[in-house]
Amino acid sequence: MLLNVENLNVHYGRAQVLHGIYTHVQEGELVCMVGRNGAGKTTFLKTIGGFMRPSSGTITFRDQRIDGLPLENVALKGIKYVFQDKRVFRELTVRENIELAAFPVKERMDEAIGKVLSIHPGMEKHLDSKAKGLSGGERQILLIGRALIGNPQLLLIDEPTEGLAAKIIGQIVGILLQMKAKLSMIVVEQNLATVSRLADRIYVMKEGVILREIADRETIQKPSLYEEDL
Amino acid sequence: MFSKIEKNPFLTLAIIAGGFILFGYSTSLPKITDFMIFCIFVLGFDLLYGHMGQLSFGHMLYLGAGSYGTAIFAAFVTPDPFLGIAVGIFTAALLAFILGLIVVRTSGACFALLNLALNEVGAFMVLVPFPQWTGGEDGLSLFFKSYGFLNFANPTFLFFFVLGSLLAVSYLIMRFVRSPYGMFLKATKENEVRVRFLGYNTYIYKLITFVLSGSIAGFAGALNTINLSYTSPSLIDPTRNVEVIFAALMGGAGNVMGAIIGGTAFMTISNYLARYIIRWEMFLGVALLIFAFKFRKGIWGYLRKV
Repeated sequence: MLLNVENLNVHYGRAQVLHGIYTHVQEGELVCMVGRNGAGKTTFLKTIGGFMRPSSGTITFRDQRIDGLPLENVALKGIKYVFQDKRVFRELTVRENIELAAFPVKERMDEAIGKVLSIHPGMEKHLDSKAKGLSGGERQILLIGRALIGNPQLLLIDEPTEGLAAKIIGQIVGILLQMKAKLSMIVVEQNLATVSRLADRIYVMKEGVILREIADRETIQKPSLYEEDL
Repeated sequence: MFSKIEKNPFLTLAIIAGGFILFGYSTSLPKITDFMIFCIFVLGFDLLYGHMGQLSFGHMLYLGAGSYGTAIFAAFVTPDPFLGIAVGIFTAALLAFILGLIVVRTSGACFALLNLALNEVGAFMVLVPFPQWTGGEDGLSLFFKSYGFLNFANPTFLFFFVLGSLLAVSYLIMRFVRSPYGMFLKATKENEVRVRFLGYNTYIYKLITFVLSGSIAGFAGALNTINLSYTSPSLIDPTRNVEVIFAALMGGAGNVMGAIIGGTAFMTISNYLARYIIRWEMFLGVALLIFAFKFRKGIWGYLRKV
């Protein structure tokens, strides 16, 4: 098992936001977390990524405890996070954004750029432009491409299609499907049509607990069967 | 046109050198030597503020550490100016390293005020507990050895030595900010947490920047002591932090040309305007308001757009 989460409890101050979460991710699996706003999906991702410390419970990645590790150490273990807000380093060029990601994992620049271009060849013409000039969709693609640098084993992707045009959503979904064969992912997504195309397994979250786990392919492909749980 | 200058480090250095030589010979070499020393201090401060995005209200501490390190070494060990400069830089670097271990864990207002508090402690240490070493309120008057033409009492030699130092520091910073490390600084300024998510231990990099910034300030302090053959508590006075902050803001934070223009503009105002307007600080206040509302990126930021 790649990732195993047991009895995870997380608090914001006195308020408990995750209550005894049990989840796991297998090698090469794409797991989607669905639920309404405030269900605790992003908090769950942030806790796995090392941004938040759990109050109790364990997170095991390749049989090693990672709960409580500083987030840079979590990243170096091969867990990369793609944030919801699509913020790239605006004042750096696209090339520098890629170089910044390649440096700590000691990846060669041509390989790193190759990874980004492999998911979106059109990025080549923007390499020497400041990242603040990219469209929302291009920023998202750059963030996903940048997360691939250093051969991560698990990607945590928060709302990858939020706020994007339908055409771009199709492109992002295509990229995620293309990546699916190569690494494991946990994707937080509210768009159930997208979830039904991507997911190998779904966790439905509500008010900080996992309400339901769906592993059956036929059920996953019919969002109407779990929409009412949200 | 101006943004092209910035892209070429050697053209930038040539303009700085040409500008100061012209300024020096058309006014007064000792006065422009003062200006250049202040510009080195601004460059050190700007590494922290303009490049890393951390505003310190206590950078005079490192200027003072460099100055007193050089002065105490010259007064009690040997009056060798070169060793004195090395000791001054080392003193400031060591102090920045020790305090940086704590200080760089903070950010924003906490960072600014913690630095101010430490500056206050430093100023107190100079004034009260060790007057036999620091000269207390009177400071220390010094004598420095000369080696042939390497004579710091000669204003022309001192001018060109300080100019060379300014160019060396400028070049070092330009190389630094164009390296992957500079990218890291820019990214940290934008969003430190995101940088950590890429696998960087930002604490170490911030500590290195803090030490480098403190060392450059210490270098300026050491040069100041050699320039005046004297040091005094005014060189560690926390209330004077506003000068370097003002200079960095006025010139345009985050680039070498901005720091040098800001440093020179501040020194010009404080040296020349003071002859005509007694409360010249009022003019600075008004100028700051204009910069805050109209020229947020400072003089150099404005020129870059031209």
